[in-house]
Parts: sequence; structure tokens; C-alpha cells
Amino acid sequence: MSNLRTPLSKAKGLGSAKTGTDHFIVQRITALALMPLVVWLCMSLAFLPDANYISVHLWLNSPFNAVLMIVTLIAGFYHGALGMQVIFEDYISSHSARIIAIIITNLLLFFFAVLGVFSVLKIAISG
Amino acid sequence: MAEFKLPANSVLKIGKTYPAPEGARNIKIFKVYRYDPSNGENPSIDTFHVDMDNCGPMVLDALLKIKSDTDASVSLRRSCREGICGSCSMNIDGQNTLACTKAIDDIKGDVTVYPLPHQPVVKDLVSDLTNFYAQYASVEPWLKSDTPAPPDQERLQSVDDRKQLDGLYECIMCACCSTSCPSYWWNSDRFLGPAALLNAYRWISDSRDDATGERLDELEDPFKLYRCHTIMNCTNACPKDLNPAKAIASIKKLMVERKG
Repeated sequence: MSNLRTPLSKAKGLGSAKTGTDHFIVQRITALALMPLVVWLCMSLAFLPDANYISVHLWLNSPFNAVLMIVTLIAGFYHGALGMQVIFEDYISSHSARIIAIIITNLLLFFFAVLGVFSVLKIAISG
Repeated sequence: MAEFKLPANSVLKIGKTYPAPEGARNIKIFKVYRYDPSNGENPSIDTFHVDMDNCGPMVLDALLKIKSDTDASVSLRRSCREGICGSCSMNIDGQNTLACTKAIDDIKGDVTVYPLPHQPVVKDLVSDLTNFYAQYASVEPWLKSDTPAPPDQERLQSVDDRKQLDGLYECIMCACCSTSCPSYWWNSDRFLGPAALLNAYRWISDSRDDATGERLDELEDPFKLYRCHTIMNCTNACPKDLNPAKAIASIKKLMVERKG
């Protein structure tokens, strides 16, 4: 009998989720952080003496580069997860499909973020 | 998924063509969306040749001329014919606007007239705005105050406080903004849309209203408010030159401000 609900009841729906502002803030902070970080990453890679394994390895061996690389990875994957969530919420109207898409994407991005951070640490620590 | 293609029963057909009266020299072509739910047929585009030497300057004038001279079954809403009632909002020449304030001379080539986008159509140019009005009602667009009004006078407001309402109180609820917003097209069941949010902000900014916090609480939601991605179609479309996008940004700013 859901079609007999009043238009106001439908418009109010389940009410306010009392959330969304943190998502909004973090998405913008990670975007701001990524602006200098991505410039730094591109410049650093562009100015490497050679585009080979050894020079990248040496570059990531420096604590400064390793830490900035980890920060870039975390900010990038976090920003990506938040952005993908917004895209799914915009375009997937089925609630269950939307939730499944968001969960799978978050798990994948989390996996790649951990993989990336671990790889940088492995290079930086083991030399 | 969001709908990027028209459903089969909404695909447009070519409709009837009505020639101009004999002797007409200054002819403008109006292509008007027609849909009649009672005949079970798909919507169509009828072509009307209108004699502009015998017609008022606005699109509404031409539509009413078509209705009175050519085809009385053309359905549209209209009332004030001067941009204050918001009834004759429709999609003209690809832009949501009011037929009564849209000059025909401003349109190059044929004039296309469609109902407001992505709303159920009742008939021809009349769209069903039930959900739009319900969303407006859901933001409780009235003064809420726990402070009793002074017994002998109205609630006072300073000149500066009153200025905060300029650009907000003028909204005529024509729905041009909300129905031009892609976020509203995809999620109008949960996203309140620019018109309702602008009106919510109108009461949030009212110095006489005590319920600012409650109003923000009600809006703090990934869908109700944060579906707005600053696309700005709303501001582009508004026939009253208001700025709903700015009002929504101001609400978001207050949300962030009260975090700490």
C-alpha cells in the first residue's frame, strides 16, 4: 500500500541521516592535499636521472620521498573511495546494487592502498 | 541506473503540422510537445506556424494564440502572465524558463516548447510537480520561533537582517531550477533540489527564526543536501535571476562551521 503514502511522507522518506558533512570536508581536504602532492610526484619522476628500476628504487629509499609517497597513496585512495561513492550514489538507483558497488570498491581501493604503502615501506626499509 | 534513454512509451513521434493562416507574412514555427494519457499513444511534436504580425511578444502569447485559434486541446498552466506566479514554467528553446517572460524575438530559428524535464507529464506542457511541492513543504517553510511575538507589534528585524533575505524570498516555486538539475533528475526521490534548499536557506537566514539548528539537522544528509555537486544549472535556469547554487553553498558552509 506504499502508493497511498502522502506525497509529504514520501518526500520526508526515512528522514535525515545526520551525516554527509564529514564526507564533504574530507573529500575537499584530500583534494587540496593532492594538489601539491601530485605536482611533487610528477616533478620527482620527471627529474629522475634514468627511468629505470634502480633510479626509482634509490629515489624511494630516501625517508622524505618514501613518507611523501605514502601520504600521496593514502590521500589518493581515500579521495578516490569518497569520489566513487558519490558517483555510485548519483547513478545507481537500486539501493542494494549501490551498496554492493560501494562496498566492493572500498575493499578494492583499501587493498591497493595497503599494497602500495607496504611496497613503499619494503623499498624504504629493506633498502 | 540513472535514465539516459527515454523509456519506449516516451519516445517522441512526429505529430501534426498546422499551417499559418492565408496571407500571413511574418511566420514563426513553434514545435510543441503533445501528450495525452487517455489515448495510450506516445508523445509527439506538433508544428504550429504562427502569424507573428498578429501575436503578442512572449512565448506564452503564442501558446495562448495557438490554443484559442488553432488547437484548443493544447494544455498548459498559466495565470499571471507577468512572471510572478510561476505557473507557466516549461522548457523553451532548450532552457527551463517562464513562457510569459520569454520573448519570442530572443529565440533564433524554430521555437521548441517542452514540459519541464524529467517530471511525470499530466498532459502536454503540464508536468506533475506533486513531489516538488511536497519537498518544499518538508523544509517547513514558515517562521518557527519559541519566543512569543511581542503583544503589541510585529517581530522586529534590523535593516541588515532584512537584507539577508534578498535573493531568497523572491522564489516563486516555478521548478525551473530543480528540473534543470541532473542530480535532481537522477535522485529526486531523496535530493531536495535547489528550489526547496533555497527556501530552506531563506528560513535559516531569517533573524526572527529560532530553528536554525533543527533546520540544519534536517538537511544534513548525503542525499537531501549533498547530492548538489555545484553544477549551477539551477542558477542558469532561474527566471527570477536568483542564485540557488549560492544558497546551497551557504548551507554547506554552515554545516562545516558548526562542526568546530
